Order: sequence, then C-alpha cells, then structure tokens
Amino acid sequence: MGKFHNDLKLLKDEVEKMGKLSSSMLRDSITALENLDQDMAESVIMRKEELLRYDSEVEERALEILTLYQPMAKDMRKLATILKLDTYLARIGRYGYDIARVTKDLCCQPHIGKLVSIPHMADIVKGMIEDALTAFKEENTCCIDDLEERDDKVDALRHSIFRESVSYMMEDPKHITRCSHYIMIARYLERCADHACKMGEKIHYMVTGERKEIR
Amino acid sequence: MDEYILQAKNLNLYYEDNHALIDINMVYKKNKVTALIGPSGCGKSTLIRTFNRMNDVIDGCKITGEVLFEGKNIYGKKVDVMDVRTRIGMIFQKPNPFPKSIRENLAYGPKLHGIRNKEKLKDIMECSLKQAALWDEVKDRLDESAMSLSGGQQQRLCIARALTVEPDVLLMDEPTSALDPLATSKIENLINELKKNYTVIIVTHNMQQAARVSDYTGFMYLGVLIEVGKTSQIFEAPEKELTENYITGRFG
Repeated sequence: MGKFHNDLKLLKDEVEKMGKLSSSMLRDSITALENLDQDMAESVIMRKEELLRYDSEVEERALEILTLYQPMAKDMRKLATILKLDTYLARIGRYGYDIARVTKDLCCQPHIGKLVSIPHMADIVKGMIEDALTAFKEENTCCIDDLEERDDKVDALRHSIFRESVSYMMEDPKHITRCSHYIMIARYLERCADHACKMGEKIHYMVTGERKEIR
Repeated sequence: MDEYILQAKNLNLYYEDNHALIDINMVYKKNKVTALIGPSGCGKSTLIRTFNRMNDVIDGCKITGEVLFEGKNIYGKKVDVMDVRTRIGMIFQKPNPFPKSIRENLAYGPKLHGIRNKEKLKDIMECSLKQAALWDEVKDRLDESAMSLSGGQQQRLCIARALTVEPDVLLMDEPTSALDPLATSKIENLINELKKNYTVIIVTHNMQQAARVSDYTGFMYLGVLIEVGKTSQIFEAPEKELTENYITGRFG
C-alpha cells in the first residue's frame, strides 16, 4: 500500500473512532436520563472536548489528503463522505452533550411516570447510527437499506412524545418545564436520526458511486 | 451520426510483430474535448498519431481498420495526406517552433497553401495569435525569433501555427508536460476556448488535467480501449475495475 492509501486508511480509522465516541455520547446521555444519573451525565459532558478535537483533526487531515494527492473515483468518494460524516458525527455527539446537560437539570426530581417512549425512540436512533457506521466500516450498504422505514418510526414517536407531553402540561402547569425538556430531547433524537439518514446517503454514494435520497 | 467528426473503426496497428492498437472503436464528437489516459506505452499517443497519419513514416508500421473523418476513411485510396494533416492538426509534447521569426512561423502553413497576399497573411496571423491567447504578448515583437519566447509562449505559438491553416481537429500529445503550472493553466484555458471552433483530442498523463479540460475521457491499457465515457463519470464512478484501479493509483 502506498503512502496515499495508507493515509486514507488511517483517516478512515479515525472516523470510525470518532463514530464510536459520538454514538457513545448519545447512548450514555439517554442512559443517564433514564436513571437520572448525574455522574454519567457529567461523563458525557466531559467527552465534548475530545469530540471537538476529532472534528477538527478529521477535517484537517481530509483537506491535507485532498491537497496532496487529488484523489479520484472511489478514493475521492470516500474522502467526500468522510468530510460529511465528520460534520454529522460531531452533531450527533453534540446532541448527546445537550441531552446530558438537560439531564443534570432534571436530576432534582423523578420522572413524570415511567420514561418509555424516549428510550424506545433512542434505541431505534442508536441502531440507525451504529448500522451507518458499520456500513461505512465494511463498505457495504446492506444494513442501511431500511433507514427510511426506521426514520418514519422515529418521526412518529416524536409526534407521540409531543402529544403525551402536552397532555401532562395541561394536566398540571408544574409539569411544563420538565415536559418541555422531554419535547426538546425527542427533537434532538429525531435530528440524530436525520443525520443517520444523511450518513446513509453519503455511504451509499461512497460504496456504489450512485446517489440515493433517503426519504 | 454526423455529430461525430472523427471515428476509429476496428482499428488495429502493428509495429512489426508488436500489436500496438487492438480493435479500437471510438467516436469523437464535434466541438468537444476528448482526453485519452492510460499508463505509458498503452497506445494513446500511437492512437492519436493514426488520426493524421503520423505513423505512415514509421518503418514496419501496419494499420488495418478505418479512421473516418467526416465519414471518409483517411486511409482510403486517393486520400491526400497533406490535406488530412491540414484538417487535423497536431501539437506535440515539446514546443517545436521553427527557428525563424514569429511572423515566419505563422506564415509558413498559409504560404504552403499558396496564400501570398500580405494583408491576408497578416489577418491570418493576427487571428490565430488571438485565438491562441498570444497576440497581446507578441504583437510588438513579431519579427523576433520564435526561440526567444518562453516555453509556454512557444507552445501557444505552435497552437497558433496549427490554427493558421484552419483545421477542424486539433490533436494534442501531452501539450503541457514540458511547461510550468502557470503556462499549463494558460493552455488549459485555451483548450476551453478552442473547443468553440475546433474538436480537440488530448493525450495526457495528468489525470487532473484530463478531468479539468475534457468532456469525454477514454482509458487505454495495453493497446486496448478499456472504457470511454463522460469525463465526470469516468473520474467519479468508472464502470470498469481496471479504470478504477488506474485512476486511483492502485496499478501494478
């Protein structure tokens, strides 16, 4: 393997690591929220710096490879995908950070009832992100062919969480602050699912050379 | 069909026992730039040299098949080779101006075709120099030796010289490989302008250059035309694995 392909492989490894970090931030923030675990929320918050470092390093190295080697065909598609994935993964990790921040505020009181819909929604979103990362790693699109259907489920859950929260707020104005947070979290998760779909589109392009719109 | 100005049909070329071009079938669209890429020795220069019969002078060179220029085989009987080379001009890797003045370089072709009128010659000279984007740089020094120009200027002079005989097709064999980046970019811009009036076929080792200047690209390997397509498709998502491997540098 020449220096160029070695550099490209190292960069791809970096993106995979960044993917693990950013999906762990989202996953742990939801666990922290479910259990109202302040320490875990804090550990997610602490990971923000590392995420930012990956974000700028990946971009810098991708641009360096672009300038030095002017890649073509599948190498060019891989590099273009890496540049987009860098942004999407940074956003997903950042939503994990946001959820962890909200969780710290919510820790002072128990949840209103048992938290069911948000963890369920989060499971689907985590699956979408993890499968997109697997597709990227293995350069195979079969595990992301159904992202669109999964995204529909996520959208439906967001609506249902919104309606549920509104009814709690109408029941008792004391619930307003808490339920507003639930609505925001559902919104963050829905955005993460969108990012997973965009990742899927780019990975599809990287692997096949054809552009595909997911929803 | 008539939009194809040039067409290679079942073209084979042998240098003695060496089968250098194998069953080439390729069309060239009018007013488009077509690039030929491939590793050294793959036959891309040999191929464009067949388009104005430059291989005729090589001993032991045998050609079968046809090269159709505006529908007529340039290897047919009764074809005037000089006429072919007038209509299909060629620019080489190294600038090769005549060791004469700029003016004489440009008057040479038209004079050979019997043009003697000074005004007419002056018009042809000015027009070709303008088309080759060289007029402003040399208009006050037309009687100086062409050898006093820089490499990039010399190459543009050679392009202007090719244009003086009003060709339809310009063949360019690595036209910028001996030039610096600035002169290269001038020639590349020029190619973009030239295609309004001419059809350009360019052989290049520089894939980024092929991607920048051409509308269509053909990839050749060991005398075989492996893949032809729109340049954007060839460089973004080629169909053949061999093309992919070559343009991503995974060859050998």
